[in-house]
Amino acid sequence: MGPVPTDSSRIRNFCIVAHIDHGKSTLADRMLELTHTVEGREMRAQYLDKMDLERERGITIKAQAVRLLHDGYELNLIDTPGHVDFTYEVSRSLAACEGAVLLVDAAQGLEAQTLANFHLARDAGLTIVPVLNKIDLPAAEPDRRADELAHLLDRDPSDILHVSAKTGEGVPELLRAVVAEVPPPRGEVDAPLQALIFDSAFDTYRGVITYVRVKHGVLPSNARIRMFATGVTSEAEEAGVMAPEATPVDALGPGEVGYLVTGLKDVHQAKVGDTITLAGKAGAVEPLPGYREPRPMVWSGLFPAEGGDYSELREALDKLKLSDSALVYEPETSQALGFGFRVGFLGLLHMDIVRERLEREFDLELISTAPNVEFHVLTDGETIVVHNPAEMPPGGYDAVEEPIVYATVITPAEYLGAVFELCQARRGEMVDMQYLTPERVEVHYVLPLAEIVFDFFDQLKSKTRGYASLDYEPWGFQEAKLVRVDVLLHGEPVDAFSAVVHRDKAYQYGKQMTERLKELIPRQLFDVAIQATIGSKVIARETVKAKRKDVLAKCYGGDITRKRKLLETQKKGKERMRRVGRVDVPQEAFISALRVDETSKAKR
Amino acid sequence: MSDHGTLDGAAGGIYVHIPFCLTRCGYCDFNAYEGLDPLKPRYLTALLEEASLAAPGWSGTGFVSVFLGGGTPTTIAPADLRALLAHLRDRFDLVDDAEVTIEANPDTVDEVSLRALREAGFDRLSLGAQSFDPAVLASLERVHQPGSVRAAFAAARAAGYVNLSLDLIYGTEGETLDSWERTVREAIVLAPEHVSAYALTIEPATPLGRQVAAGTRPPPDPDLQADMFELVCELLGEAGYRHYEVSNWARPGYECRHNLGYWERRPYVGLGAGAHSYRDDVRWWNVRPPETYLDRVERGELPIGGSESLDPSDAYLEEVFLRLRILEGVPASWFEEARYGPFVASGLLVDDLGQLVPTERGMLLLNELVLGLTR
Repeated sequence: MGPVPTDSSRIRNFCIVAHIDHGKSTLADRMLELTHTVEGREMRAQYLDKMDLERERGITIKAQAVRLLHDGYELNLIDTPGHVDFTYEVSRSLAACEGAVLLVDAAQGLEAQTLANFHLARDAGLTIVPVLNKIDLPAAEPDRRADELAHLLDRDPSDILHVSAKTGEGVPELLRAVVAEVPPPRGEVDAPLQALIFDSAFDTYRGVITYVRVKHGVLPSNARIRMFATGVTSEAEEAGVMAPEATPVDALGPGEVGYLVTGLKDVHQAKVGDTITLAGKAGAVEPLPGYREPRPMVWSGLFPAEGGDYSELREALDKLKLSDSALVYEPETSQALGFGFRVGFLGLLHMDIVRERLEREFDLELISTAPNVEFHVLTDGETIVVHNPAEMPPGGYDAVEEPIVYATVITPAEYLGAVFELCQARRGEMVDMQYLTPERVEVHYVLPLAEIVFDFFDQLKSKTRGYASLDYEPWGFQEAKLVRVDVLLHGEPVDAFSAVVHRDKAYQYGKQMTERLKELIPRQLFDVAIQATIGSKVIARETVKAKRKDVLAKCYGGDITRKRKLLETQKKGKERMRRVGRVDVPQEAFISALRVDETSKAKR
Repeated sequence: MSDHGTLDGAAGGIYVHIPFCLTRCGYCDFNAYEGLDPLKPRYLTALLEEASLAAPGWSGTGFVSVFLGGGTPTTIAPADLRALLAHLRDRFDLVDDAEVTIEANPDTVDEVSLRALREAGFDRLSLGAQSFDPAVLASLERVHQPGSVRAAFAAARAAGYVNLSLDLIYGTEGETLDSWERTVREAIVLAPEHVSAYALTIEPATPLGRQVAAGTRPPPDPDLQADMFELVCELLGEAGYRHYEVSNWARPGYECRHNLGYWERRPYVGLGAGAHSYRDDVRWWNVRPPETYLDRVERGELPIGGSESLDPSDAYLEEVFLRLRILEGVPASWFEEARYGPFVASGLLVDDLGQLVPTERGMLLLNELVLGLTR
């Protein structure tokens, strides 16, 4: 790593596009070894996946860039998140590259996420280097998968490289192909600085660190910088490259990839997709194209399980926000759950990660309401944006719009019928389909986001015996017949249980919630009616019959102490309950009733 | 009797625990064992010794009752029981007309043994009938048949007993309301002076409790048990019994003086393995395993296994829940009206000239009453 920026003809910037479990991290490990970027004794599996959470879930949520030196070339491997929640982040990582290694499991073949990211990469003008991985597996079908890939790319099957990331076979050839096929970056060294932020992170000691790709100009180590989107200026403290540990350099030249310690204290001032330039007259006039504000797709109310921890939850969210630029939240008061927050997430995975970090890193116990999407309520030419079903007006509006997505499903042809059936049941409209091979089909549907944020993926998996894969991207808003269903306990609405659902599914939701609550609410001293309503119309009803017996039959000399302790336990249990009107509702009832089926939380 | 259980000079009770049983029943979590018969001689000696050790601490307390419970006290020979009672009279200050109860299983007694017990001074007999339905008895793993209850009862009458109690259990698996009605009516036909009727309670640390937890046997249906409770209240009421505690009925004047002591928070001394003692807001208990109990007593020690001292809030809670179990109730002045008013309005409590007394429905929901009043 010299103090002088590398000649851009000797630079190759590339990423690996792959489905989860297709071997991306293992391939990166082999590349680190082969190029001696990491020496054997320092090597550990999945080297680049640093955060605990990532390693445990087997996915990469933070993009990173690592510099590999190989045969006199500087190869920058830019990692991309591999989940639908992070499509925008993927697109920004791709924008930092000239080439993409399209990595496909030789046993499993193309999956929807890979395909979606491949399309993103191709649309971004990247050179594609197709590779089949896991050729050492007994179940591998390299010839068949090569045909599939060749068909997709309109190339000859002999162009497809064969590697085993596990054994290292074929990886040197792959590195050579990257050098030979991926074009060098083209940037003007004398132009004003334009550096693309493709990731940012918060470090407790050093503040906001951005990962950048210099497009034009030179980024010196101690520059006064300006962010286009936020207009913030700052004294940068250090530029460097990840090799793979952070290594300072004097400057990053055009085409180079590295990190910048920005001197900022809040990740929201250095957003993914934004452009860094120099402050003052030397700065660029225009930002790089493609910046977008992070937009939450899924919302959920988060409440402390034990009342009184509200300020701890607020502090935890404030801290988390420093390192998670996609996290948005606003205070929310629920009659049933007290003070909490309505939190916006990029998707269900993001939601799970945030909730898990809150519980694990901040030791909080939380109740979260069922996730919902954003609705647009149109009245008198005005649009009200609703993030919380309880805020949805019960009526008197002209129309409601809901977000829709463009979904890609890849499935073995034999399950096509099941996929159609599922998508139809979820109010989907088919756009088109095409056979990738005679056995595998790619189907596109436009679907309401609300229909897929819950258990769609599970259903898809179970109806196709695990073979289908899914990807989706936001596709705007669309009018729909949506209604608000409320749940009442003994006549009192419980705001936490309100939901906005399609009219045709309102009865099903109401029935499911009332039946679930009937099992969860303990018998009280009076009959408790559990009703689901649309406006004033009751669509489902259950009754928890009044408790008739709660007494210890025997209470003699030796029983009295035990009996008193039982009463004290019962008393504490009662104190932990939430009161809705006259009804005592245990904490667990909220947690269980609001739980999206456990299975649908599984990693996607 | 003062409100907070200060010592009453003439109101104590003596409880003696006999931990031996012919067979152990699946629902029972008492400190009782089968197959320990070889320990009986040592155990009887130890009881006498423990009484001698404990008695000096109780000088000044007059005792109005003795209760031999178990286990199955009648697995001990009447002559030994006579000696035991004589020893208690010798060591403790028992009033002349003290009530002396012994529990018995129908199969362990006959007219001869009952006569011997009666002559020894056991003037009240509590028979563990449980049910008159053979299916219910089998489900409870009781060894006796309905016929032995009637036989034992007749034998007791013949032996001169004029204060007899029957224990009944309801809500066993498979028992219907009809079956329960027949059992209660059979009991009434025998005309005991006293009836105890207990809802079957599933105790976790019993074979039955484990079966219920494992889902191989159903838990009792609380609504059916409530129906059964209401039925027994009705039938015994019609037959002239006074309902004086949640699970106890008696002809006027035949309430169990000993058991009332627990609910009125009078002092009691417990002798034998696992027995509890109480005095002035302090409760202590003996070690439970019979062998450990024997070792301790044979070393000349009081076999105390643990104790607790009730702080004022514990004592208050006990006072409320114990007094609510009996018809005396609790003074309304102990609570704000907002607490008890709704219970009176909904018919769970009756305000009887300033005393809050649970109704039948209230007795069934006693835990709710206690929590609601003291919350």
